[in-house]
Amino acid sequence: MRRGWALWAFSLAVYAFLYVPLAVVVLFSFNDSELNAQWVGFTTRWYARLAGNADMLAAAANSIAIALIAATCATVLGTLAGIAMQHYRVRALPALVLIPVAMPEILLGVSLLLFFRQLLDLTLGFVSIVIAHITFSIGFVAIIIRARLEGMDESIFEAARDLGATPWQTFRHVTLPLIMPGVAAGFLMSFTLSIDDFVITFFTAGVGVSTLPLTIYSMIKVAVTPEVNAVSTVLMSVTLTMIFAAARLAPEAVRRPR
Amino acid sequence: MRRAIALSLAAAVAGPAAAADVLHLYNWNNYITEATIRRFEARCGCRVKQDYYSDNEELLAKLEAGATGYDILVPSGNAVETLIRQAALKPLDRALLPHLGNLRAEYMDAWYDRGNRYSVPYAYSITLIGYNVDRIRALGLPADSWALIFEPRHLEKLKGRVTVLNSQRELLGAAMRYLGYSVQERDPARWEAAKRLILAAKPYWAAFSNSTYIKDLAIGNIWVAHGYSNDMFRAREDARAAARPFAIDFFTPKEGAVLGVDSMVLHKGGRRVDLAHRFIDFMLEGENAATLSNQIGAGNPNRAALPHIRPDIAANPHIFPGAAALARLEMVRDFDPRTRRALSRMWTEIKVR
Amino acid sequence: MNRPTDRAGIRARRAVSLPPLLFLLAFFALPALIMVGASFRHPGEFGGLAPLLAAGGAGDGGLTLEAYRFFVSDTVFVEIFARSFAVALATTLICLTLAYPLALLIARSPRRRRDVMVLLVILPFASNFLIRVYAWIMILGPLNLLYTPVAVIVGMVYVHLPFVILPLYTNLEKHDPVLLDAAQDLGASTWQRFWRVTFPLSLPGVFSGGALVFIPVLGMFAIPELLGGTGDILVGNLIKEQFLESRDWPFGSTLSIMLTFAVLAAAWAMTRLARGRRGAV
Repeated sequence: MRRGWALWAFSLAVYAFLYVPLAVVVLFSFNDSELNAQWVGFTTRWYARLAGNADMLAAAANSIAIALIAATCATVLGTLAGIAMQHYRVRALPALVLIPVAMPEILLGVSLLLFFRQLLDLTLGFVSIVIAHITFSIGFVAIIIRARLEGMDESIFEAARDLGATPWQTFRHVTLPLIMPGVAAGFLMSFTLSIDDFVITFFTAGVGVSTLPLTIYSMIKVAVTPEVNAVSTVLMSVTLTMIFAAARLAPEAVRRPR
Repeated sequence: MRRAIALSLAAAVAGPAAAADVLHLYNWNNYITEATIRRFEARCGCRVKQDYYSDNEELLAKLEAGATGYDILVPSGNAVETLIRQAALKPLDRALLPHLGNLRAEYMDAWYDRGNRYSVPYAYSITLIGYNVDRIRALGLPADSWALIFEPRHLEKLKGRVTVLNSQRELLGAAMRYLGYSVQERDPARWEAAKRLILAAKPYWAAFSNSTYIKDLAIGNIWVAHGYSNDMFRAREDARAAARPFAIDFFTPKEGAVLGVDSMVLHKGGRRVDLAHRFIDFMLEGENAATLSNQIGAGNPNRAALPHIRPDIAANPHIFPGAAALARLEMVRDFDPRTRRALSRMWTEIKVR
Repeated sequence: MNRPTDRAGIRARRAVSLPPLLFLLAFFALPALIMVGASFRHPGEFGGLAPLLAAGGAGDGGLTLEAYRFFVSDTVFVEIFARSFAVALATTLICLTLAYPLALLIARSPRRRRDVMVLLVILPFASNFLIRVYAWIMILGPLNLLYTPVAVIVGMVYVHLPFVILPLYTNLEKHDPVLLDAAQDLGASTWQRFWRVTFPLSLPGVFSGGALVFIPVLGMFAIPELLGGTGDILVGNLIKEQFLESRDWPFGSTLSIMLTFAVLAAAWAMTRLARGRRGAV
């Protein structure tokens, strides 16, 4: 019991570490000072200004849409890759999955840009950003799924087969339920990777399609106003709402079916 | 949630398709005022879409790899030269630019674009020193020379309170000017001297910073910063607006400094040459050109803009240098690949030692 | 299950492995090959790459090993590699220490609470990266820690923490409580149960979580730039400088290839280590 208490205390401290900077972000989005160096007074004017900033809102909407699509695709592909590596020992996959994670993002960004423009002649924009984000997220998902599958009793899968289940049935009713927490974690990870990415997005974004990190990064040089804190706060609220809405509408997708 | 995806997808697809009359501007952030854009949109009956970059190298890397669709770019002189040599720009049609005569001769016909066939100067800044007036006065330090960031005898009183730009050319340029050489200097012995100067000063510096120094100065964490005049202007205004108990100011060192002139150019991948010319000419009208100087304290090459610029800005010699000061300012010109590689190695050594 | 022989099994193997394989070949391997090729070229006069066939005998056409020669010509580059690996290792160990107890607590919580706790881990990361780093600037400034190596480590740990917590949790969550009960019945103490049962079983999670921190830290440049002092330069910064400031794509590619090799070597060593550990248990 004493250990349980220590575990809680330590965990709360880690949560505090995660949330202290966040509290600063949220608090200073209500600060009545453009410089935002110290607390001056309460205001909601940064939110009012944000509501009138069409560019930033469009960028935020883009970011969310890109993150949802990219995370969904990366989760599907990454889960398949994880299973392929663990169950089928596909030889080429581990390197293909690991290197994009290992590669400095700027190199991935430049190489994708060269590829899209000079080999595919694809017009840069929404699609090129989504493809780039899927590429660097797959590895993260695959690594989680593999860690989940590793050490699991393989006799479960064999038993399913012996009982006459088709591979699809085995996957649907045995494998998938077992790895569901990994799939959910992989999705969350891809989502945050995508919504936060600057470097690769910078190189693969095209005319007129901006994401929030691009907009914010170009601002830091001259004008980090509390408006940026406000948009971060809004973004977190939107994410929170979406996740809870998803949990409500499709509880089986979030919770693990048994 | 699915509907949200569908909606934003639809918006993303419909956006560019519906854009009949859109001018695409690839610009520095906060380098044109919102009101100016609105006025231009009203006049031309079109839309202006901006994307942003935060330094010339980002712009060049992206264009080099094949990005297209931007009508107007606003690169600095050395980047203009690069783009011209890469045949990445469209020549200007002077017949469509009746207000070109508003520009001051000193900023025309520069080495990177003789005869201004491709570029129209837009604004400029000086790389100089910003400082906390009260602190520097209290410490009795001179506010007129690069010595303030290079001389250990001054720096001893400023330990951990100085930032310099995280830029090879800018920092080397400052060191070269202080030593009495040109920023284009390529003599290895003189580079070595500059490296020794920088390494002797480095232990006293807090950081190499390209962006955070504006806030650090205005808050009071940093007392001396090497940076761009626009940024120092902003730090000064911010400190004033927040009623900080000290003042920020900036000076051009007497040894001379780097001048950065940004110009409007037409990218070859742009689709609306007509709108682009209308936009450039619109920005050449004194009243419109002045808005940028008033907002960010940028130097302005436009003679007709001067009457519309706030008197305290127009009279500031570190934003609008006189002829003698201008003669001591130098623009950075790109080195060849081998020299760039050598400089990069020296820079890495500076960082590691 | 490695090599299915029946037809349905073969079809299943294909259905599972082909989509990610094809996607990664098309959108990762092909573009990456372009960059591998770039490391054997000369830098272009104004950035990018020099044309393969030099015009007018400028002498900079064709392929060359010059970028690799340049890499070994000065110890300074290897020094930065070593320093980056040290920072990455420190970050990884701190992340693991912070993440493990939390992941364990989440995994052992009732299922309803578990989802919320996982969400609470990920939620801060729905805000913006730069904004979080700026928040740290505001916190570290008054503590006189800004522009120090400590600030870099704090920033790195903060940014990568969820990438350890999630894999660890995913791994710990699957452990069968029956094993722990059995150990208890055999008279094992809480600590013994942890070190003999839980920890060895969680090693795959430890290694995958560790990898997801260690590797990205190496390529990171924004945190040393914003939080670090005058000496805080990592491989990520060096590589970024080659592509932007120096516009030396060949050398940037060379550095990236070296880094990728170094990472793969580290990953291989880790896998060996992991196998060794598991064999011993």
